[in-house]
Amino acid sequence: MDDPMRATEQREMRATVAKFLDDNADIRTAMALDPGYDKDLWRRTVDELGLAALLVPERCGGLGMDFGDAAVVIEEFGRRLVPSPSLTTLVACAVLDQCGADDLLARIGEDGLSVSIALADREPTTVDQGRITGSKQHVIHGADVDVLLVVAGDDLYTVDTTSVVRRRRVALDHTRALAEIDLTDVPATLIGPAAVVTDLLHVALAAESAAAAETCLADTVEYLKVRHQFGKPIGSFQALKHRCADLAVLVAGARATAWYAVRAVGTDELASVAPLAKVVCTDALMAVAAESVQLHGGIGFTFEHDAHLYLKRAKANQHLFGTNSLLRGKIGESL
Amino acid sequence: MTDEEFRAEVRGWLEANLGGDFADVVGAGGPGHEHEAHERRMAWERRLGEAGWIGLGWPVEHGGRGLSLVQQVIFHEECARAGAPGRLGHMSEQLVGPTLLAFGTPEQRARLLPGILSGEVLWCQGYSEPGAGSDLAGVRTRAVRRGDQYEITGQKVWTSLAHLADWCFVLARTDPAESRHRGLSYLLVPMDQPGIEIRPITQITGTSEFNEVFFDGAVTAVDNRIGAEGEGWKVAMATLAFERGVATLGQQVGFERELSAVVELARSTGALDDPELRTRVTEAWIGLKVLRYSAIHTMAAAGVPGVEGSISKLQWAVWHRDLGELAVDVAGSGALVTDGPPYELTDAQRLFLYTRSDTIYGGTNEVQRNIIAERLLGLPR
Ligand SMILES: Cc1cc2nc3c(=O)[nH]c(=O)nc-3n(C[C@H](O)[C@H](O)[C@H](O)COP(=O)(O)OP(=O)(O)OC[C@H]3O[C@@H](n4cnc5c(N)ncnc54)[C@H](O)[C@@H]3O)c2cc1C
Repeated sequence: MDDPMRATEQREMRATVAKFLDDNADIRTAMALDPGYDKDLWRRTVDELGLAALLVPERCGGLGMDFGDAAVVIEEFGRRLVPSPSLTTLVACAVLDQCGADDLLARIGEDGLSVSIALADREPTTVDQGRITGSKQHVIHGADVDVLLVVAGDDLYTVDTTSVVRRRRVALDHTRALAEIDLTDVPATLIGPAAVVTDLLHVALAAESAAAAETCLADTVEYLKVRHQFGKPIGSFQALKHRCADLAVLVAGARATAWYAVRAVGTDELASVAPLAKVVCTDALMAVAAESVQLHGGIGFTFEHDAHLYLKRAKANQHLFGTNSLLRGKIGESL
Repeated sequence: MTDEEFRAEVRGWLEANLGGDFADVVGAGGPGHEHEAHERRMAWERRLGEAGWIGLGWPVEHGGRGLSLVQQVIFHEECARAGAPGRLGHMSEQLVGPTLLAFGTPEQRARLLPGILSGEVLWCQGYSEPGAGSDLAGVRTRAVRRGDQYEITGQKVWTSLAHLADWCFVLARTDPAESRHRGLSYLLVPMDQPGIEIRPITQITGTSEFNEVFFDGAVTAVDNRIGAEGEGWKVAMATLAFERGVATLGQQVGFERELSAVVELARSTGALDDPELRTRVTEAWIGLKVLRYSAIHTMAAAGVPGVEGSISKLQWAVWHRDLGELAVDVAGSGALVTDGPPYELTDAQRLFLYTRSDTIYGGTNEVQRNIIAERLLGLPR
């Protein structure tokens, strides 16, 4: 069972983050900026919400919260599609904590550094005598973050961002910029085993996607109540009600799965739950977002309406850090 | 001429022209590319017109060639196979042309059909409004008669190609005392006039091919009304039936090209080794076969498409949308990034985004389901 004290704390934290984002985050402006996110907003999330220090342990001068708290933040950013390196920074801090990388953690907390994790290989990445050579892709906000963690082989390293070549790519998902990173004989500092990185990224994407699906469905249902055709709200048509009901079932399952996965962090179960949660929750978001475009009619096909932003985030999340079909295949094999 | 001789003739002509001075438009204007190469595609329309490839099924006395349904479909199939550019003249030839043939006066046909047949005059469809989409009978755009003219005031939306079109066929309310399906008239309105303002709308693809069209005292001659005053609904519905009908029968050949490209992509990314994606590719292939057999069956029955039009629309729209999603899924994580700024999409990404509109325009999936349920299955409203 949840600790009731913690539950109250998390509710308050959720409300604080939600209010902060509602008051300050402007998604359309942020996605049009060069880095693809609003650096001033990042600075303020660090200063006012203590985001960078959240998972930094108290021994390193941080707030020493746990992944359940981080998930609350990830969900609130995710449901609003706020472009931000917050997801990767939080996951990175959780990984660094497990590896005992105290110096780096202290710097991240103190200076409010943004972090991303280079996982997917563009070209094979090799390590030779503490130097990395290779190329990475789909690094979230990778061209603009302050700290880069690089997975090479079974290990996690950190590299000096000035010693690599970073290229920002135009991403399908406007709300999450992606970068390619070339490493040529770059000096790297070993942090520890990379095993848990992918699992935590999967859990984070699951939490974000489930929350986004919930919001996207709520917005869609709201529209069906106000949009009138044939002299009544289109939400009164049985065909649409049934579909919304199906989606509500899907979202409830995704929320529960994400919740379970967040609580599996730090347990032996994580390795099996994380990819499954990622598949379930990102597929649920895709189903909701696709229906959202459809149920909005012509408006839903416009750039101006947010439905496509959910659709694009959904598709990106299905693909990031191991495509869902790949993960499903692995889940199948493991049975 | 036998069907096979006809096919050979079409193929020869397409090879000569698309291999020659129209080589640059091969593949242009396909799904997600509909905003591209307008000038060259207009030139292609004119080339088709010169060579007599427009109005294949129209009666000879109206400048058509009186060909059978099968031969019309053969023409579309060969165009798709040869990668002929997406048609800008679709609404002109397939919607307003047949409407003029069915409801126009001899004078209107003589005046307006030649421009369509020559590929020189472009038409757009002014049905949807902010308050009237699926519920088209809710149109509020007003047309007031003054002497031998109508003065039109109101707003249309999602009007494809309005920015290029010479004419728009507008459904407008001529009798404000009547409501719903009564009191509407079908007016042909010239686009190049001060009372019309066109504003492009950016689509989810980041590009734009539909528009808002504002009418503020725009005028058209009473001679440009098709059908009687107040009888516009009947005419508009006939146009919609054409939209859901013949025009789409030949499109599986284009779909087959797209599916082949998806299979190629899947091969190159290794997605075919993935059991789930392999299953979906197989399902897409089976679905395409079903589309094809359905089209053949419709042609064999050779009736005027009615409710079957709704079945086929629903069937292909869902299939095509699923193909679009399969395309980005077999692309793997490569689908995460575009080809570059400002938002240059890959073919797979375009197909994924564009096909989201297939299930909306020309009557949404839900509207098609209602039509099928009420008119085919006889379920109560
Ligand atoms: C790419 C594109 C091009 C287009 N080009 C043109 C054009 O050239 N000319 C033109 O006139 N229009 C055009 N349209 C408009 C198109 O016909 C309308 O978008 C469509 O008819 C839906 O209307 P709407 O957008 O108002 O959505 P709405 O009617 O508001 O529909 C919203 C949702 O409610 C559902 N719904 C509505 N009524 C019912 C019901 N009775 N039962 C169950 N569900 C229902 C719909 O299926 C949809 O999911 C185009 C649209 C697109 C996307």
